Amino acid sequence: MSKLGVFDISVRYGKVPAVNDLTLHVEEGERVFVSGPNGAGKSSLLKAISGAVATSHGRIEMDGDLLTGRAPEAIARLGLSMVPEGREIFCSLTVEENLRVGTGLRRDADAVDVDIAEIYASFPILGERRSAAAGALSGGQQQMLAIGRALMTNPKLIMVDEPSLGLAPKIVDQVYDTLCALQEERGLTLLIVEQSSLRAARVGGRMVLMRGGRIVSEGNAADMADRDALAAAYFGQSGKQTETAT
Amino acid sequence: MTNFAQLFFDATSLGGLYAMAALGIALIFGVMNLVNFAHGEYIAFCVFALIVPSTDAVAVMFLGHAPALILIPVILALGGLVAVASEYAVFRHLRRADPVAMMIASFALGFVIRNALLAAYGGRPKAISLWPGLNMPVNIAGASVPLLQLIVIVTTLLVVTGLALLLKRTRIGLEMRAAAENFTMARLLGVRANRVITGAFALSGALAAAVALIMVTQTGVADVKMGGQIMLVAFIATVLGGLGSLPGAVAAGFLVGIVSVVLQAWLPLEARPFRDAFLYTLVIVCLLLRPQGLFVPASAKPRV
Repeated sequence: MSKLGVFDISVRYGKVPAVNDLTLHVEEGERVFVSGPNGAGKSSLLKAISGAVATSHGRIEMDGDLLTGRAPEAIARLGLSMVPEGREIFCSLTVEENLRVGTGLRRDADAVDVDIAEIYASFPILGERRSAAAGALSGGQQQMLAIGRALMTNPKLIMVDEPSLGLAPKIVDQVYDTLCALQEERGLTLLIVEQSSLRAARVGGRMVLMRGGRIVSEGNAADMADRDALAAAYFGQSGKQTETAT
Repeated sequence: MTNFAQLFFDATSLGGLYAMAALGIALIFGVMNLVNFAHGEYIAFCVFALIVPSTDAVAVMFLGHAPALILIPVILALGGLVAVASEYAVFRHLRRADPVAMMIASFALGFVIRNALLAAYGGRPKAISLWPGLNMPVNIAGASVPLLQLIVIVTTLLVVTGLALLLKRTRIGLEMRAAAENFTMARLLGVRANRVITGAFALSGALAAAVALIMVTQTGVADVKMGGQIMLVAFIATVLGGLGSLPGAVAAGFLVGIVSVVLQAWLPLEARPFRDAFLYTLVIVCLLLRPQGLFVPASAKPRV
């Protein structure tokens, strides 16, 4: 049984389809990149898995538990955490409060302080600014905070939506180094939306390529980066591509 | 020339009342983007809970008989209960609805409560004397101040500090603040929507009850329409403070109260009947200059 199973799901916003009959499996401990052009439905896929948007069709399972139809807070309790696009940190809360928001679902309240200390060890800048308003952090620091915050729910699977958005390349390197180190350390499963297939290839892992709400191809990220499929997904040059990108 | 100390006490006590009412509205707006126009009716409901249901002109005390030590917690709990009940009965079913639909539902709920009160108590305002001793003036700094004004000021400070501590120091407070800023994100982190929303309604209802007790002691009247006026002012204060911002609501509530009292004192005599026109002109000017609200910190804007 795979860690995460997405079976034939569709997501619609009104009449506009965002994800069409998509099926995807993620194995335990795996790192999967979701790539593709704007409007391919990558974020919608993540939102559907996390319960933030409803699916119109299909089902989603994690460790055999049905996620479809559950509230986001119930899904979080099953061990899924999300670093959303644009970070969405709580700007009016302090850094430490941001980290504590996601600890309400934990049964091991005693371990929370230890975990926070660990986050500060991984991201010293967050420790230094623990009492500062999170809105005053730089973009890169906010990204670190969003990752730290997602970790505080003690998840098994973390989904990260566009961690490189709006960040300098050097910071993006740092973000990925951290994510990979954390994955190693904690045996996490990672599902990452990443526009840049080159970046995905450098970090390494499996890559699925989306277009028009579907997966058009998948494979090893390093192999995929320079394959025709990529050009096809972005520019629609392949013969079988008839639908237009949404 | 009006005595400055007198003015100060008038202004802060009125401002405190508005601040508490505005806080009740801002709390709910924060967690579910709902401007709850039934809030004024919660206030009226709590006032009428003090007296025996009848259509007679003279009010007979019901809960109002109880000693303050029992009366206050009971009325506060009752306010919370009405608010939570209305969430269960009405707003829970509209969670995914348009904010406009929710707002209209809150109007409808307000009408239901108001007409229920009309049916039970009749439409005539009733004289009601709760704690009349509190309107006795005391002398402070040369000003003659009703004891109640002092109590209102102290109560407001206590309520605002208490609420600030609750929001700052407790788990539910942290969840409410997070939910107020970004409800979906809070839920993605496991924050239970129902718990936070129920908590917000309970607090909001208790605040309405506090306002009700103060108003009824101050005016000595129980009137079905009494919630409407303060609801309007409180709503303006929440908009002025920046919708959803709790410190903003408190600050703007005080500001509206203070400006209103100052205008009353300083406007030329012939312009005083139009005090509210001046007040709302100032509100419009404020909103033109800062449509996002006066007290929204720059850090509240998310970076990309």
